Amino acid sequence: MHIPDGILPVPVTAAGYAATAAVTWYSVRKINKKENSRQDIPKTSLLTAAFFVVSWIHIPVPPTSVHLVLNGLLGAILGYFAFPAILIGLFFQAVMFQHGGLTTLGVNAMIMGLPAIIAHYIFRLRRFGNKESRWKTGVFGFISGAIAVAMSVSMFVVILLTNIPADLDVGTERAAIYTLAIAHLPLIAIEGFITSLLAVFLQRVRPRILDGV
Amino acid sequence: MRNKRLDVTMLSEELLKPALTVSGLWLSYPDRPDVLQDMSLKVMPGERVGLIGPNGAGKTTFFLGVCGVLKPSAGEIVVLGKPVVNGHFRPDVALVFQNPDDQLFCPSVWDDVAFGPQNMGLSKGEIEVRVTEALSVVGAAELADRPAHHLSEGEKRMVSIAGVLAMRPRLLIYDEPSANLDIRSRRRLIRLLQASKETLLIASHDLELVLEVCNRVVLIDGGCIVADGDPRKVMSDDRLMEAHGQEKPHSLVPHLIPHHAL
Amino acid sequence: MKLGIVDEYSDFGSLLHRWDPRCKLIGLMVLIFAFSFIRDLRMLLAMVVVTTTIYIISKLPVSFIIRRLRYPSFFLLVVVLILPFVSGQTIIMSIGPLDLRQEGLIAVLLIATRFISILTIGLILFGTAPFLTTIKAMRALGLPSILADIVLLSFRYLHEIGSDLQKMQMSMSLRGFDKRGLNIRALSIAAWLSGSILVRSYERSEWVYKAMILRGYGHAPPARGEFQAHSRDVITLGVFLLTAVGFIVGDILYGHGVAALLQ
Repeated sequence: MHIPDGILPVPVTAAGYAATAAVTWYSVRKINKKENSRQDIPKTSLLTAAFFVVSWIHIPVPPTSVHLVLNGLLGAILGYFAFPAILIGLFFQAVMFQHGGLTTLGVNAMIMGLPAIIAHYIFRLRRFGNKESRWKTGVFGFISGAIAVAMSVSMFVVILLTNIPADLDVGTERAAIYTLAIAHLPLIAIEGFITSLLAVFLQRVRPRILDGV
Repeated sequence: MRNKRLDVTMLSEELLKPALTVSGLWLSYPDRPDVLQDMSLKVMPGERVGLIGPNGAGKTTFFLGVCGVLKPSAGEIVVLGKPVVNGHFRPDVALVFQNPDDQLFCPSVWDDVAFGPQNMGLSKGEIEVRVTEALSVVGAAELADRPAHHLSEGEKRMVSIAGVLAMRPRLLIYDEPSANLDIRSRRRLIRLLQASKETLLIASHDLELVLEVCNRVVLIDGGCIVADGDPRKVMSDDRLMEAHGQEKPHSLVPHLIPHHAL
Repeated sequence: MKLGIVDEYSDFGSLLHRWDPRCKLIGLMVLIFAFSFIRDLRMLLAMVVVTTTIYIISKLPVSFIIRRLRYPSFFLLVVVLILPFVSGQTIIMSIGPLDLRQEGLIAVLLIATRFISILTIGLILFGTAPFLTTIKAMRALGLPSILADIVLLSFRYLHEIGSDLQKMQMSMSLRGFDKRGLNIRALSIAAWLSGSILVRSYERSEWVYKAMILRGYGHAPPARGEFQAHSRDVITLGVFLLTAVGFIVGDILYGHGVAALLQ
């Protein structure tokens, strides 16, 4: 779900950079204003690295296999810090594996990062009704994980297909969008399921992680 | 600008003041109360104290208290004449962690050893001097440009020691320094410790190392000091050692004849 | 654990290796963006020539770029195979039931050339200096120190955490876990594996934090004067900026740039 270099026109990539810069600036400001922001730096860094490594785990989905995205869980755990974390993860991917792109860093960060922030708020809703239950954690985990990936997929497909430097007639374009979107449905379900399992695991083993940075 | 030359009268005064005084110390974690219970200890400058005891006895917790990372629930800690304040940066006390990876967080060896001196606000030239000096003391001068993740276990250990030596601490605390080291690295570590002029606190399961390096042993169990004295006396006491999950180190087992001391 | 950080040839000493990292960062990134602007076929040739020239100057081995472009080119293959048959109205050839379209073909040429050129320049940017130096250059150019710290710390522990993952996966396969097959068990195990990694990293971060504050983290005066740019560096930057502007202007003059922008 990363858009590579060479496809998108400059206005789109520039807009992506501008938007990413704005959200990052806002996140950094929030971090600086915190009491003990120094403590959050190692936490955010180690979790950024951890999520990056976790994305190397692949799940066999016949006929191929899929890499875990987990931007929903990242958002749930890191909140606003998730955006810089995702940006940095994408940067590493572009530089180390030539996956994603340098001109599209901004656009890709929006595609992955914005849903992560939204997932944070969705996951927070589990606190309503004061009973802490594993069931609630699991359900909200599923919802935030699935919605985050669904949003990312939608943004990815739409941005990509509406900006290909060639003419696709409207019918083909729409068909392509729908096909690509539906092809990703198994991924969305798997991500939701794994996020839910992960949330329950974390609550059982180290609940403090879920309380965020 | 501090005048680093101590004249003779100042020196003897320094030597008479304890390097570390702990009085009635209680330390807890949020999820584990009373890990350390009413501990009192005094360590004089130049002493090399070995802390032995089973896992969970509170040795690491004690170290974190002495460094000011953990706030005591009760009691007082005074290090090098000044009370320890939680969160205060004191380069005169240094802790070498059990796991060097936790401590080697900079991208290159040089950066990591320079980290402490940089935070002390030293000039670029002085930092250069300190880093070079620290790396040569631990024998890692040629590793300066290496990325931290390209080091072996022994090298990581030595570099993490260099990282604290560069701050020129007067009280040095080692938490399980010989864990995971191969024979050669362990021997290099022992030689380094024996050559140290600082006051040392060393927690270790490696009782032979404690015998070779330390002139005092403190046995800790269940958050309390159970024994404190000469290493040979404390560690030869079978009943005491076994009661607290230890064993007599091999060198002290009865077939050691006094004239082997040379 | 070996991670593909591209700076294995960063001690070569070519002109590009010796260029001030800040100027290099600006110059090459601007060039990359200029390349992404190109829509005219005639400018593509100039792009290839310029990219090749820079690569030769950098003295990076050819094997390097071939190795690095192999994996991302798979995506390119998909585009090349699909777009010419799907996009555009002008049919120039028919292969059985499929119609080869001109616009699609042109689009493929544009995408492929831009893609390869941009990736090559990117590899040159990050391959001609140690990764750490490039990050410091970004910080010197205004990247907030918080972000620079996070990049450096994450990068440092990426290797440890990656090794942990490898060891855990090895232990799993040694105990007979068959990772083919999509079922609830496989998903659960993926979740537990991920969870262990997250928890371990979280706990390690608490120790790293302790280590950092014990050596005075937060007390450092801001890093000053790490880089010194000579006139030679600035002139080189000027050359690159002019080249980038040349590409953009050239593309507009050839008539396609502005029209496509306003589409």
